Amino acid sequence: MSNDQQTAPGELDFTRVFHAPRELVFRCMIDPEHLTNFWGPAGTSAPVERIHVDPRPGGAFETVMVNDADGSEYPTQATYVEVTEPERLVWKEAHSGMTVTATFADLGGARTEVRIRQVNVPEMLRSPEAQAGFLTSLDRFADYLGQLSGTSAR
Amino acid sequence: MPLTEERLDATFTALADPTRRAIVARLARGDATVNELAAPFEMTLPGISKHLKVLERCGLISRSRHAQFRPCHLERAVLDGAVEWIEEHRRIWTERFDKLDAHLRDIQADPARYQEGT
Repeated sequence: MSNDQQTAPGELDFTRVFHAPRELVFRCMIDPEHLTNFWGPAGTSAPVERIHVDPRPGGAFETVMVNDADGSEYPTQATYVEVTEPERLVWKEAHSGMTVTATFADLGGARTEVRIRQVNVPEMLRSPEAQAGFLTSLDRFADYLGQLSGTSAR
Repeated sequence: MPLTEERLDATFTALADPTRRAIVARLARGDATVNELAAPFEMTLPGISKHLKVLERCGLISRSRHAQFRPCHLERAVLDGAVEWIEEHRRIWTERFDKLDAHLRDIQADPARYQEGT
């Protein structure tokens, strides 16, 4: 099924349900005025004037996360691979080569499920067949690995 | 970052295979020889050796050069690095989405205020 050449990392698979209509959640992900409110994780901020979004394939998706405590900056430069409003966003980070896919599912009742998949895919493995093999949700496996790491060997 | 992106990539690639994950799980309980590792799998020694080479190349396991049976040893720091990477990114998305959740509640409670702000 998988050999050394065909296996590839499936790295992060993350899902969250929001109580908001899909169109609005999607807009939040591509509008700097929205992004600035949430893009920086806890303890950081993402200044609106430094978010550049050009939501079309090949367009820029650039952000800077600024550490609130010491002002250190974490810029990310990415390029959109796919923009299908309001269903799907795919971007690729220049530095890490990491591809992030965000899918937006309308659950009805103004609820939206967002699924984030972060995969660092070597160029040669871009086929759907190859991808099926490595979207193995290694983040769930991480729990398991964490247990192993926590176990003292002897 | 405890590991280089390249190293991490190789580590995840190595861990994407179920047989290699089983080998890693076995080694988490203690060092083992190739024969011991091969026992639970219906695999030839060369087959197992191929998997061990992949794990060795990314640094997840090491093998003694001198001991007669060259037992395999799990390098926990590398495994920890892979776990940390995943945890770190999961944390970022969790915190981001906590904020997005609050933001969505704000703008839906008072859409006019957001419009003024743009």
